[in-house]
Amino acid sequence: MSTPQNRREDPSLLASVADGDRGALRTLYERHAPWLTLRLKRRCADPGIVEEVVQDTFVAVWKGARRYRGQGEVAAWIWGIGIRRLIDRLRARPLPIPSALDRGGIVISAEEEVLLSVEHGDLGMALDRLSPELRAVMQATALDGLTTREAAKLLGIPQGTVKTRLMRARHELREALA
Amino acid sequence: MMSDWHADEALLARYAADELDDARAYSVEAHLMACPTCRNVLAPMADTSRIDAMWAEVADRVDAPSVGVVERGLLRLGVKGYAARLLAATPSLRLSWLAAEALVLGFAVLAANSASGRPEADAVTLIFLMTAAFLPVVGIAVAFGPGVDPVYEIGVSAPMRSYRLLLLRATAVLATSLCFTFVASLALPRLDWTAAAWLLPSLGLSLGTMALATYVRPLHAAIAVGFAWILITVAAAFAPSDPLAVFRVGGQVASLLIVTVSTWVLAHRRGTFEEEIFV
Repeated sequence: MSTPQNRREDPSLLASVADGDRGALRTLYERHAPWLTLRLKRRCADPGIVEEVVQDTFVAVWKGARRYRGQGEVAAWIWGIGIRRLIDRLRARPLPIPSALDRGGIVISAEEEVLLSVEHGDLGMALDRLSPELRAVMQATALDGLTTREAAKLLGIPQGTVKTRLMRARHELREALA
Repeated sequence: MMSDWHADEALLARYAADELDDARAYSVEAHLMACPTCRNVLAPMADTSRIDAMWAEVADRVDAPSVGVVERGLLRLGVKGYAARLLAATPSLRLSWLAAEALVLGFAVLAANSASGRPEADAVTLIFLMTAAFLPVVGIAVAFGPGVDPVYEIGVSAPMRSYRLLLLRATAVLATSLCFTFVASLALPRLDWTAAAWLLPSLGLSLGTMALATYVRPLHAAIAVGFAWILITVAAAFAPSDPLAVFRVGGQVASLLIVTVSTWVLAHRRGTFEEEIFV
């Protein structure tokens, strides 16, 4: 971590990537590939697919760096690409929910204070009481930032089912937290 | 949104090892999105050797040459990958070449239109027909062979018969030329028989060049055919009676004959061509 490249902010690195700077891509990769791999692994049981998706994602970053509009975290932008690439890969053969997504859950607020209270609080327990199907739907929409249509593709269920499960999950959580 | 709070290392380690319950895992994930510091702490906890190995693949794909417009179009039409690459590398299918071809035809049509109705109209029509018939030959000349084809050596060493490559490229060049000329001839002042009279001679000259190219370099074959063609047409042009004689029935029949003979030669030379590859 001695070169100045490593101390540059993500958006400035991304701007260099847009100008064809491979070194900048390498730095972005070193920063973001590890968490992306770990996070995708929690959503896809097949490590081979996860690796392909991570590679696809950074090739997409290379080609589409110009599309980053300079708003929001670069990490969130990369995640948006990654999770959609995963959906594309899984489209042919969606994963059964229990094997890959039984750890599904929810974040109802982006506020870190709220998130911290999750650990031993009511929300944690409320989440645990949700069925795996409902948690998977909450995770895909609330945490992963997918639309109901994309969530349907990821989970291999109809879009209408995603909507009804989402409504039921919200209802159950509200009851549990009331 | 950054805060002073950071996930402690043990929590991140358990996240990386996939040991956290859902609620905590999602806290971590939501925090990671906003916190570069914690992402840095987490990074060495992933499978770093795999991450490094994956970079090699990313670098490979980033360095791969981008696929050009022509090649992408061919792939979309269902042409096989290797054939599309070999076709797209044809010098006479490049955009600059096609533009030059359009320009030449454009000038010929322009001349024909401006000379329309004047005494020299026939002579100008002759120039258009001569050019139109000869254009694909020039294309074929630089479609294959040492010196003109940047991937010639690769093509020769490729597990594909050079004969097939010659035919593949020549056919593609011929087809594009014919399309161009067809469009150009629609812009001629008179849409009578002269608008289509170039077709058979064009086929004759092209196939003749290809047949000859199985003996000598395509470039030399094209030069020989070109000289013969210009000689014949110019000589005919000075004939007192009819400058367009070459393109009337006699010329068309002769062209058909050349097409037939050349096709036979091409089929016959199929086997012997490979051994006489020019280096």
